[in-house]
Amino acid sequence: MNPNLRKLENESIYILRQAFKSIPNIAMLWSLGKDSNVMVWLAFKAFLGKIPFPLVHVDTGKKFKQMYSFRDKFVKKWKVNLIKGTCPPLSKIDPSLPPAARSAARKTSGLKNILKKNKFKGIIAGIRRDEQGTRAKERIFSPRDEHGNWDTKNQPPEFWDQSNFNYPESVHIRIHPLLGWTELDIWQYIKNENIPVVDLYFSKNGKRYRSLGDKDITFPVESSAKTVDEIIKELQVSKISERSGRAMDHEDENVFERLRSSGYM
Amino acid sequence: MNFESSEIPKIVIVGHVDHGKSSFIGRFLYDIQEITEEKVLELKKASESRGVEFEFAFLLDALQDERDQGITIDTTRIFFKTKTRKYVFIDSPGHKEFIRNMITGAASADIAVLIVDVNEGVKQQTRKHAYLLKLLGIETVITIYNKMDLIKYNEDKFKKTRVKLDNYLSDINVQSYASIPVSSKLGDNISTKSKKMEWYIGKTFIEVLDSFDISKNSDSEFLRFPVQDIYKIKDKRVIVGKIELGKLSKGKDLIFLPSNERVKIKTLEAWPSARKEYQRGDSVGITLTEQIFVDKGNMASDTVKPPKLMNRFESNIFWLTGKKIFFNKNYLMKINTGEYQIRIKEIKNIVDTENLNLKRSKNVEKNDICEVVIHSSQLIPLDDYSFNKSTARFCLLDDEEIVAGGIINSKNYPDQREKNEYIKKNIVPVNFSVNEIDRSIKFNHRPGIIWLTGLSGSGKSTIAKNVEKKLFKKNYNIFSLDGDNLRIGLNKNLAFSPEDRTENIRRTAEVAKLFTQAGFIVLVSLISPYRSERKRARDIRPELFREIYIKASVEVCLKRDVKGLYAKALKGEIKDFTGISSPYEEPEKPSLIINTSKEEVEESVRKLENFIEKEFSF
Repeated sequence: MNPNLRKLENESIYILRQAFKSIPNIAMLWSLGKDSNVMVWLAFKAFLGKIPFPLVHVDTGKKFKQMYSFRDKFVKKWKVNLIKGTCPPLSKIDPSLPPAARSAARKTSGLKNILKKNKFKGIIAGIRRDEQGTRAKERIFSPRDEHGNWDTKNQPPEFWDQSNFNYPESVHIRIHPLLGWTELDIWQYIKNENIPVVDLYFSKNGKRYRSLGDKDITFPVESSAKTVDEIIKELQVSKISERSGRAMDHEDENVFERLRSSGYM
Repeated sequence: MNFESSEIPKIVIVGHVDHGKSSFIGRFLYDIQEITEEKVLELKKASESRGVEFEFAFLLDALQDERDQGITIDTTRIFFKTKTRKYVFIDSPGHKEFIRNMITGAASADIAVLIVDVNEGVKQQTRKHAYLLKLLGIETVITIYNKMDLIKYNEDKFKKTRVKLDNYLSDINVQSYASIPVSSKLGDNISTKSKKMEWYIGKTFIEVLDSFDISKNSDSEFLRFPVQDIYKIKDKRVIVGKIELGKLSKGKDLIFLPSNERVKIKTLEAWPSARKEYQRGDSVGITLTEQIFVDKGNMASDTVKPPKLMNRFESNIFWLTGKKIFFNKNYLMKINTGEYQIRIKEIKNIVDTENLNLKRSKNVEKNDICEVVIHSSQLIPLDDYSFNKSTARFCLLDDEEIVAGGIINSKNYPDQREKNEYIKKNIVPVNFSVNEIDRSIKFNHRPGIIWLTGLSGSGKSTIAKNVEKKLFKKNYNIFSLDGDNLRIGLNKNLAFSPEDRTENIRRTAEVAKLFTQAGFIVLVSLISPYRSERKRARDIRPELFREIYIKASVEVCLKRDVKGLYAKALKGEIKDFTGISSPYEEPEKPSLIINTSKEEVEESVRKLENFIEKEFSF
């Protein structure tokens, strides 16, 4: 493994172990995408083959069918404890949001319900700094208030591998073990470790998905990359952003921050 | 050097507010074509909608508040590559309000860029940031003199500012690796040489960056392996952690601190399989040839040059909050993987970063840097900062907030490990034929004292009773000691005066200790209203003691009044009744708070049950 990947892997394992040790009741979000598969893989490494907390799939009911069959296959193969959560209908979501973002916000509500029902104090999410400007501003251990809100103006200090875990009862912590990874790192690690991914990432008829979300608000991009190696090659020269196929990112300048401030991943 | 596979240096950019940190990064990335067209369009839109000129800083200032106010609030990171290698830029805020965010960004950097607006010159936060970099372990910086266009590229003005900054840096022992006059606005000397500054014969920023050597000089290879956690996997106890220094391999001799026990590594553990050797930075697991007590926060090292074991030491700290420093208050110190209650005993001086004068004052203000003396009731494995940085720094928490970070100077106080070794030599231990470790291995959990404190009627005994039953069914060796029951027998000669309460607690704690020696987890339900007494109980077996606060307001307990005691106390029939006629001091840092006025009994029971399983099972 190259030194960069090894360093990222070591740091992520450290974060996962820290989360498990320091936060009483945690779970990991498994969106079935490439990043969360890497995260599950890292959890196997951190806990030496058995993940000691549940995985959570917040199901919007609008994922691609390939994603559902992937999920059902690997729940069995990996012997993980899966919690499936549903999302409220669109009519229950803030109508002031632009259409795609409003649709994506269903996931926030679904997540909040799961947190509440299972009383999770920590939730591990596979976001990365290179995906999006507000995600780049995140902490590794990021507190959310009782409404799930993210206070961007008042984030806690975090340095020397030390983070704060002492918060009021109503607070839960978002744990971000992949924050320092890039899209290219993810694919190189997938290649290195031979981690399975949904085949929607590979080119069919000149197009592939770079990022997976709900099927009605996610679009494939032009690409001829049919294998992990070809994807890595493509990313080494690509100037197009990873989330260009995610409609919700492009509706309004502030929309992603609005979503995230109120609890989106 | 292999372009794709080498480690990626992190560069932090610091300096006074508005001296152009975010704009500099934005400009640089634009010049080397690391910003996508899509992004440029997005930034144009964001600039136009606010009626400002095209603003490169918006690339990093992604938050709406930052864009609206035109300042950086929080640190951020952005990935890029030059023709030579990949990098991560860490942007940081220059406003003094956000020093904690600057520290968050700068603490993990390999390279620092200190930027100064030549038109404004060296300012307060320029100096403060330079000084903080030093505390964060960065001793070499690249200095950037920005906004040269505003002073018409005047060499003399540039030199004057440079001399000022260089003098300051040399006073605090920070090297300046290169000094580059630039204009972020127009791109001079950033990725291409400026035609307007023929007098400048040095390198451009990108050339300086690519030539910067980040290979760490690891002068010391003595092992430091802080114990992060212990996992029970099948019949193995795996000690996991991240190697801070040195190497680990099978068969290696280790010393664990604070116990000072010697043991060998039996196996290395990783999934799906382990390598033969692990080194600095690696997260790994080990098993040992002998069963000794190892706990989270312990530190393993080589048998030569182990860490120091100290309960008093000096430290340089940066204070991050508006709260005052209190000398009689406990702070939680997080160092390596351990947590300790400490007190700040003395403030030796406060550094005025403007002129480097040392003030003698007790009034430490937000963002001050000061030298303090720290006392801890427990021994802490640590190093001197000059020996190894990563095991010689800590943060302090006050309740729910990180209030400080600091680095350790151990020179003026004794190493207690050496003292302990001396005492050990002079005491002949009694050998029991069955020891505590044998018992815990048989019972599959460690012994412990679970001290439930809280008002009468708060639910201590109810919770203890239920937890005892549940864990007993799970084969735990568990026993409940109840204050009321003890008062019928062992403590029947004691009343409720402060002196008698103290004796009551002392006896109960001693009984609990005997039970732990027999391998039991003991649930002690005792009002134990005074902090000092609970501390005394804790001090009997601090490593096994967990304080649980069973919280319920006097009003709630009064309403419950199961035993009718509150009614009697209110009538004056019972003297010194806690909560009515005698005080209850809430725990300052309990291991767990169970709020019975809000929770159902089942939930409280489940909480404590989970807590005990997590803390004490193998």
